[in-house]
Amino acid sequence: MKGLDIVRLEGVEKTYLMDRVKVPALRGINLSIEKGDYVSIMGPSGSGKSTLMNLIGALDRPTKGRVFIEGRDISKLSDNSLARIRREKIGFVFQQFNLIPRLTAIENVELPMWFAGVPKVQRVKRAAELLKLVGLGDRMKHRPTELSGGERQRVCIARALGNDPEIILADEPTGNLDTKSGEGIMRILEELNERGKTIVLVTHEREFGKRANTIIKIRDGRIVG
Amino acid sequence: MLQYIELSLKNLSYRKARAILTTLGVIIGITAVVSMVSIGEGMTKAVREQFEAFGTNKILVTSTMEYGVRGKGLTDGDVSNIEDIVGVEFVSPMYSVAAGGEFKGEEKVITVWGLDPGKAERTFSDVGGYRLLKGRWLEPGDRNVVVLGYRVHDDFFKSKVELGNSIKIQGEKFRVVGIFKETGDPEHDEAVMVNIDKLRELMGREKSVTAIVVRVKPGYDVDEVRQKIEDSLERRHEGVEFDVFTSQQLINAISSSLKVIQVVFGGIAGVSLIVGGIGIANTMIMNVVERTQEIGIMKATGATNSQVMRIFLFESGVFGFFGGMIGVLIGYIISTIINELAENYLGPGVLTTAVTPSLAFYAISFAILAGVISGLYPAYKAVKLDPVEALRA
Repeated sequence: MKGLDIVRLEGVEKTYLMDRVKVPALRGINLSIEKGDYVSIMGPSGSGKSTLMNLIGALDRPTKGRVFIEGRDISKLSDNSLARIRREKIGFVFQQFNLIPRLTAIENVELPMWFAGVPKVQRVKRAAELLKLVGLGDRMKHRPTELSGGERQRVCIARALGNDPEIILADEPTGNLDTKSGEGIMRILEELNERGKTIVLVTHEREFGKRANTIIKIRDGRIVG
Repeated sequence: MLQYIELSLKNLSYRKARAILTTLGVIIGITAVVSMVSIGEGMTKAVREQFEAFGTNKILVTSTMEYGVRGKGLTDGDVSNIEDIVGVEFVSPMYSVAAGGEFKGEEKVITVWGLDPGKAERTFSDVGGYRLLKGRWLEPGDRNVVVLGYRVHDDFFKSKVELGNSIKIQGEKFRVVGIFKETGDPEHDEAVMVNIDKLRELMGREKSVTAIVVRVKPGYDVDEVRQKIEDSLERRHEGVEFDVFTSQQLINAISSSLKVIQVVFGGIAGVSLIVGGIGIANTMIMNVVERTQEIGIMKATGATNSQVMRIFLFESGVFGFFGGMIGVLIGYIISTIINELAENYLGPGVLTTAVTPSLAFYAISFAILAGVISGLYPAYKAVKLDPVEALRA
């Protein structure tokens, strides 16, 4: 189903208020991401790429302009509607992994399904499958502190896939990993893309960024190429 | 619902020491509530039972004249007047005095109740505690005989006083014909009963009466009869030299003063529960601050505000629940200990506290409610967190 815009941004601006001073983070972004695409967003730190990522991920609302996900304008939706979109459409992979330390690997993977109200038996079954998919079938009962960085990131990917979302948003997923582990993570993401998932990768690592089908360069809150 | 409870337990067990300390506040509060309420209930029940044992169909007339004050106290004239009132079944005059007692050369002041020997049993046999251990009640024609309270028989004098022994009252010999069982009330157990006329002769107060017990005929209104007795006495006496109560009035008066005690007890207990609640609120605020990033993760993975709210409210409710459960348990233990102590020092059945199922239910519900209320503000704080900023924390 290529050709359909799964994400579209129209004239999006985002301004933060810091100590009563307006700081523009994004200054008029127009952008389309097709379903099944593999996009990397690249730019130096402070360029606004994380802000862009938060808007695409329905974590935040634009100050101006509109954000569409699967054709639906989400820029004016309530907190709860945004939560539902995140739950169903989007899977996040963070640089800091953001796993809950008290919960085991499998429990962390269950989390988005928990919020979606998936019954326990199904939840556990799917979480186990996802962990096997990322190669952690033998680490399910481990807590995050008992896992290596690469393993943690794989748990995070498994969690992102919990409710089978269309879009995987990966914010510097290799930023805290050594090259080998980073490569492993990239391979998993690319494999997911081959299976039809839309991958949006935010990175400042050229080598990884260049592997995407579409590269969006951002600087000072504007797309520069 | 079940999954929220599961998650709460998991979250709380992660910081065990903190969870235990927080719960301790609620435990103390609920323990206080449960033991105070059960003591209050026990006291009310004890008083009610004592008066109900006296009989709700009885009216007690007492003289307010103090000993040694000149004036017309209650007399035999009043007794025969009351006998003529409609609805009165029977009237039993009493004369009580602290007199000089002597047994085997040992002299002690003793409380002596004078009763009409023919009416003694009918007046008191159905009153709680007055049960014969040995011998018999006073009977018509008895003059120099006495029935002893249990302690008088047992340890009031250096040696035990048994049936057939004689004790001296105001220098005159009385033969022991009966001994009452122990009632637990020293006023009863350290007193003796003799013929009222004989006693008044000894004391030189021929017509005096200190109290009159009136029994109302079945089918008559006790309060109406009481009113008639009061009117009749007022006609004969100037000024008020007597009190007329029904046992119901006494129960009501004492119950209402016990209510006040219960409210005060409950208030103190309530304050400690509020302190417990503040403890929960404090812990929950700490939890929210510590788990800011986690709240961000929950929101990023699709938790709605109401789900986040529920997660934190369940956690604080679980504090309340455990605090309540343990508090009720300790309250129950305290109540049992009090019962043991009361039985040993006050006598059997005098004070029986009880943690009823409904008290336990209300206490636990109240604890959960206190927990949830304490969690409202911290949960609201969690809900209000911006997911982007929370993730960055």
